[in-house]
Amino acid sequence: MNAIFKRELRSCFHGMIGYVLTAFMLVSTSIYFVALNLGYGLTDFGYYTLYRTIFMLLLYIPVLTMRSFAEERHSRTDQLLLTSPVPTWGIVLGKYFALCVIFAVPCVVDVAMILVLKVLGATAVSTAANFASLLCYYLMGCAAIAVGVFLSSLTENQIIAAISGVAALLLAYMMPSLRTMFTAGSAVALAVFTAIGAVLSVVAGLRSRSFTLGCLTFAGCCAALTALFLLQSSWLTEAFSAVLSALCLFTPFEDFVNSSFSIPTLVYYLTVAVLFLFFTVQGLEKRRWN
Amino acid sequence: MIQVSHLSKSYGGRPAIRDLSFTVEDGQIYGLLGPNGAGKSTIMNILTGYLAPSAGEVRVAGYLLPEQAQLAKGCVGYLPEQPPLYPEMTVQEYLDFVAELKGVKKSQRREQVLRAARRTGLEQVLPRLIRSLSKGYRQRVGIAQALLGDPKLIILDEPTVGLDPAQVIEIRNLIRELGKAHTVILSSHILSEVQAVCSQVLILSKGRLVAVGAPEELGEKLNPGSRLRATVLGDGKTVLAAVNAVPGICKVELEKEEQGEVTFTAESQDAADRRGQVSRALSGAGCTVLALAAENKSLEEIFLALTEETGGAPETQEHPEEEDDQ
Repeated sequence: MNAIFKRELRSCFHGMIGYVLTAFMLVSTSIYFVALNLGYGLTDFGYYTLYRTIFMLLLYIPVLTMRSFAEERHSRTDQLLLTSPVPTWGIVLGKYFALCVIFAVPCVVDVAMILVLKVLGATAVSTAANFASLLCYYLMGCAAIAVGVFLSSLTENQIIAAISGVAALLLAYMMPSLRTMFTAGSAVALAVFTAIGAVLSVVAGLRSRSFTLGCLTFAGCCAALTALFLLQSSWLTEAFSAVLSALCLFTPFEDFVNSSFSIPTLVYYLTVAVLFLFFTVQGLEKRRWN
Repeated sequence: MIQVSHLSKSYGGRPAIRDLSFTVEDGQIYGLLGPNGAGKSTIMNILTGYLAPSAGEVRVAGYLLPEQAQLAKGCVGYLPEQPPLYPEMTVQEYLDFVAELKGVKKSQRREQVLRAARRTGLEQVLPRLIRSLSKGYRQRVGIAQALLGDPKLIILDEPTVGLDPAQVIEIRNLIRELGKAHTVILSSHILSEVQAVCSQVLILSKGRLVAVGAPEELGEKLNPGSRLRATVLGDGKTVLAAVNAVPGICKVELEKEEQGEVTFTAESQDAADRRGQVSRALSGAGCTVLALAAENKSLEEIFLALTEETGGAPETQEHPEEEDDQ
């Protein structure tokens, strides 16, 4: 795992990509920092700089993560990694931590910016709030990196990995506004859950190569959903909006921007990261069995 | 070292190898021989734990695959068909990386890397970027990589492909050298290569194992009619008539006849040695025997015979990676 971590880190700064990405992040945060925090004398770094530059992550993260597994697969070096005595999760974690360290570089510069604000007279409370926001911002980025790594492990084409990464993050970014379009009642929720159930059953049927199992899964899903719809239809709508809000990757960060330290938010980001790393490991393992 | 029983692997329903069973003994050089698409790379990918078998049991160094894959992988050095190299690294950096990846202790890493580089003739190019190396050197870096960690079993997938003749000879010598201390499995579709370095040959055709054994042994086993080649002083017709009259000889062919010397080959129905009978028959016909020798079929003939028997065009592909892209 150590070897993979070091190699990944080094390879990023061997070529231009690591420097270009870091510069890109630094330029965008500095512009906001200089114009708003310094220009207007605002001490709230979390809102004026970090929150307003979230959209930069939509480009930064997919470009950072697109190479991770797609390139290995393309150049067949995955054969070396997967036949070495390192467990699959070791490979995934090694790569993931390296990417998190690369993302930490612009965040360290953000720390310097917060300290500049402190020197210029920000109160201890607002400095603490700024650091808390930065912590949450970093974890949010790490969660997004896990999503990007997972998407990269699905394909051997880096461009496709990057584009699907941008698309996934953009969807998560716009989900708060999209969600308002789906305020509909339990009928819509039922339809959406039935569709999800259908997809799951098709996958189950294909994976187990058993038509009966697929049909049974779907029948089971339909029966459960119908029962819920008839007996407790409010659960369906609640579950539906819970699913949608879980997809809003960038919304929980607002808690920190509003100067409150929210443990559930941190847990949410860590969960997302763990979940997608788990998916990545499973995806790599599954490829062996194809 | 390796026990494989009833191994099958299919890619999305298309069988690549079917019901394969064989054993690999310690300390020998095995050659995996077969035409394109016979399943050589698939077998190697399964033995190294890169792919999981669809059915059957595989044991490498006593560890069951894929359940104990981690332990088994520690005993195997693998050179895939395309050497897994990172072009942006130097040879030194790359070998250090692989040594660490394979869990070589820090204190031994330097020495192991140097030794692998020396064995593969890479000392001069250690500080160079892999990107700038020629194909032959890249192949050698791939082999050096497989030697790191001092594995008991070394698996080489077409190790000499793309090398010039001098390099091929060097690599063959290296493989022979490796065979003294390690078990080596190499795949090839070049017969002379297998004949030159391997002590055991596994011949594959369309995913099935069609023959196993030492190259000479295979000749005898698969060619029950042993063959004689003789040069005799005498008249062609008399010679042919005399040899044909020997019981058990089924076919006599005249190779050349000049200045009273006749050279011919005779095939007998079974593996029995008929040199004595033929010699006596010739003497009886008044001919002087100048030379008489038993001949075995060459590996090439065996290979063609076996692979043609099981069918012509390959129906399976060797590279799973290309089609499983979701």
